[in-house]
Amino acid sequence: MKPALFEVENIYVQAGSFQLREVSFSLEAGEYLVILGPTGCGKTMLLETLAGLRCPARGKVFLKGNDITLTPPEARRFGFAYQDSLLYPFLNVKDNILFGAKAQNRHQEPEILSRVDKLAEAMGIAHLLNRFPRFLSGGEKQRVSLARAILTHPPLLLLDEPLSSLDPQTRRSMQELLQEIHRAEELGTIHVTHDFNEALQMGTHLLVMNQGLVLQQGNPLEVFSQPASLNIANFLMGENLLQGRIEWREERAWFAQSGSDNVRIGPLNECKLPNKEAQEVTLLIRAGNLVLSSDSHESLAVNSWNCRIAQINWHSTHVEIICRGQENYRVVMSGAEWKRMNLQKGSPVRLSADVNDVHLLEE
Amino acid sequence: MVLRRGYNNQSERIEPSTFLRCFQAIFAGLILFQAVLIGGLFYYGSWAAIAAVIQQPEFHFALKLTLWTSLVATALTAFVALPSGYVLSRCRIPGQAFVDTLLDIPIVLPPLISGIALLILFGPLLGEHLTKLGLEIVFSPRGVVIAQWFIATPFAIKAIKQAFDSIDPRMEKVARTLGFTPGRVFCKVTLPLAKNGIISGLIMAWTRALGEFGATAMLAGITRMKTETLSVAIFLNMTVGDLEFAISTAIVMLMIALISLVILKVFLRTEVMV
Repeated sequence: MKPALFEVENIYVQAGSFQLREVSFSLEAGEYLVILGPTGCGKTMLLETLAGLRCPARGKVFLKGNDITLTPPEARRFGFAYQDSLLYPFLNVKDNILFGAKAQNRHQEPEILSRVDKLAEAMGIAHLLNRFPRFLSGGEKQRVSLARAILTHPPLLLLDEPLSSLDPQTRRSMQELLQEIHRAEELGTIHVTHDFNEALQMGTHLLVMNQGLVLQQGNPLEVFSQPASLNIANFLMGENLLQGRIEWREERAWFAQSGSDNVRIGPLNECKLPNKEAQEVTLLIRAGNLVLSSDSHESLAVNSWNCRIAQINWHSTHVEIICRGQENYRVVMSGAEWKRMNLQKGSPVRLSADVNDVHLLEE
Repeated sequence: MVLRRGYNNQSERIEPSTFLRCFQAIFAGLILFQAVLIGGLFYYGSWAAIAAVIQQPEFHFALKLTLWTSLVATALTAFVALPSGYVLSRCRIPGQAFVDTLLDIPIVLPPLISGIALLILFGPLLGEHLTKLGLEIVFSPRGVVIAQWFIATPFAIKAIKQAFDSIDPRMEKVARTLGFTPGRVFCKVTLPLAKNGIISGLIMAWTRALGEFGATAMLAGITRMKTETLSVAIFLNMTVGDLEFAISTAIVMLMIALISLVILKVFLRTEVMV
């Protein structure tokens, strides 16, 4: 069997009182792994360990099946870009990009020089090659930093929150650029972020971290819609977390909410039940999976319940509606859809959810 | 007075408040005091006397000895202060307070006492072994270099440590991932980034070495035409009442220091502007 491009096996890293514990994952060639976690959860520390800048106390790191745990960073030569572009102020843009090639004494090779031009063209920085970093904008600096990281075709690209210090417009164009580079170079990439949208948009694989531990990993959409525990659902800001219990009717399992909204959802897919014995459960319905309709009379329809509109929050891309029964429920929809419904604050509405779009969590 | 926001080097004018005017007044007072002090020295000396003194062999000897010993001492300082400043900036050292105090000893001790300590080390303790190796330190120009180096080094270490502190260590980490070994990272990234701070630290060390007297007098002695630096020449001639020689030498020393500092500061500013 062909080994994975990059594999991490139970690494354990200590820095002061902080510990990264038992981190394991693997990355196939061409995959884009996003590591998601709050500030201070050890993401940067993990990335620096992968680059060889920190030595793990235990565990192993493999590149194409070869153990590189003790290989120093200059021999690994992974592309690395931090949140701040960290360009060298005493070098112009071209020399900054060529800095890695200089380390290998290849900075005068024609193919390297033509690659600098090609990368600069692709990244829209060709006209800046003779400028010094202090004359560049944040986005331009980040592009130069990226070009510097990938110039010599690194085996892996490590990105430490590369977009978080950019304004929204620049961030979007940088996201597109990163995806384009990832496709064009077929470069295995590990991207660390605390931004949920970034994680969903960029990643082919997602790893959720908190307090030095990997909480869950998998396909980004699956992780977001089916978090492994209530803890992870809370971290991923699961919008509608309904407390309740499992009820059995005619040998089928139903979710029955504990509150007086009397929400009943079922029959549940039994293989999704966390534990048949665990009667107290939490049901997650992501805001995008709740359907809002203006017809509040269908009281007999299954998997639906009545509410009133309590608050309307407009966002640039969608509308978030908070509906209130005994509890609050969040629904999102497009602005056009919302306008067509012609509803106001206080209007009675009916919420419904498809049984396939809900996810049961154990306490 | 045009005020500049020092933190980001932008030359925006800021409106002075009463509070700031008080500080400006104190600052102006200090500058005035310095100017009067230097002016007094020039007023008391005469150009004719200076012209006569700079032609004397004793002055030539003192000037040459001062320049070469202070430059060698500064080179030795750089050799020691660069690694020491880097270690202090980047490493967690057990007993940091104790280590800091040890390093500060030449700053807090009167140079005379430092000189006595050096005399004991290079005399009774190590003198015999060094003589066997042909490296006599006590009462020799080598002693002048050692005394100047000892007094100047802690100042350079402090300035250079600060220069290294101001560098984001991630700049060095990026260079490692780009393929540079730690030694090459230091030469290609750390030194260029800390260049201005290092040069300032070494200028400070050189000016300390240039004017060193107390420790030099103890370790190298005050011997005319042997260990006679410019400071020693001033002292020797003051003690025998040759005020003209002493003041003229003082003015020449002052001129050397001022001109060198101005040239270096202009050079550094030009470098920063590139």
